[in-house]
Amino acid sequence: MTASAVAVLRRWRWGDALVLALAGVLVASSFALVYAPGWYRMGSFAPGAGPTHLVITQAGAASQMVPLTASRRLQVSGVAGITEIEIEPGRARCLRSPGRQGICEGAGWLERPGDIAVSLPNRLVLQVQGANPIFDSMHY
Amino acid sequence: MTHETPDRMNRRIAALAALAMGLQIIETAIPSPMPGIKPGLANVITLIALLSLGWRAALAVTLLRVVGASLVLGTVLSPAFWLSLVGGLAALGILAPLVRLYPRHLSALGLAVPAALAHTLGQFLLAWTLIIPHPQLLLLLPPLLLAALITGVVTGILSLSVLADPRIQRHVRPIPPTSPGSPISPG
Repeated sequence: MTASAVAVLRRWRWGDALVLALAGVLVASSFALVYAPGWYRMGSFAPGAGPTHLVITQAGAASQMVPLTASRRLQVSGVAGITEIEIEPGRARCLRSPGRQGICEGAGWLERPGDIAVSLPNRLVLQVQGANPIFDSMHY
Repeated sequence: MTHETPDRMNRRIAALAALAMGLQIIETAIPSPMPGIKPGLANVITLIALLSLGWRAALAVTLLRVVGASLVLGTVLSPAFWLSLVGGLAALGILAPLVRLYPRHLSALGLAVPAALAHTLGQFLLAWTLIIPHPQLLLLLPPLLLAALITGVVTGILSLSVLADPRIQRHVRPIPPTSPGSPISPG
């Protein structure tokens, strides 16, 4: 233990302090940048990578494609009641749904292709789609 | 340091590569708080190879370690293999320019920290672009970099202490600045 302490002290160079300071700044700024509010809205960096359509699927009915262009609200009625969907350019969310646990609403804004919100009481699946097929990860 | 015959040089490279492989394999048994965080003790061996045998030897040790350890762990050509390879090469990539500042302006500590950060960053970029291209993977990067900073400091201190050993000392580049014929030159 003491041997390594001596080794550090004897071999310390001013450049080490500089390198450590720069490394600290790099790490701190990575935290600041990545955890800054508003990051999630950015979604993917690539332009045009955001979702273009909302696919509404309800048991027993054909899927509906709704373009995510203008702000509007939709109401879908199902066996448990009415699910209200809010659409904005490039994103959509489940605003109100009859489910008591708020799972559909809890999915929040669907703003990356593949994001999904589900209302089981209403047998409803909301998923946003982009221009390109997406995958979450690859496994081996 | 290169009044070495090719034979002796190869033996030293093989010995360092074996040490690095051993460390990397033992490390997999250490529980990690988060995927991607591990001590990175092989960093010590890479630094010792770089500072005592030169740039080509460090590259050879890194490649042998990556291939050898993945053979033992059964991950050849799997994502883990590519992550390991890219991390090792990224670390060497940043060491190549920085090693010119050794030993006048930087000690092994000042080399180990950028190497650890480059290793993590290289791995992360590969994982993010090819293996898990999910935008929110970026949320993992700051904690990974923080871990790399800490493990870089630890492996740097270990490297200093190993390099201070007299048995290693006589192989390490002497304190006076590099001569034009220095074998440590990127190329």
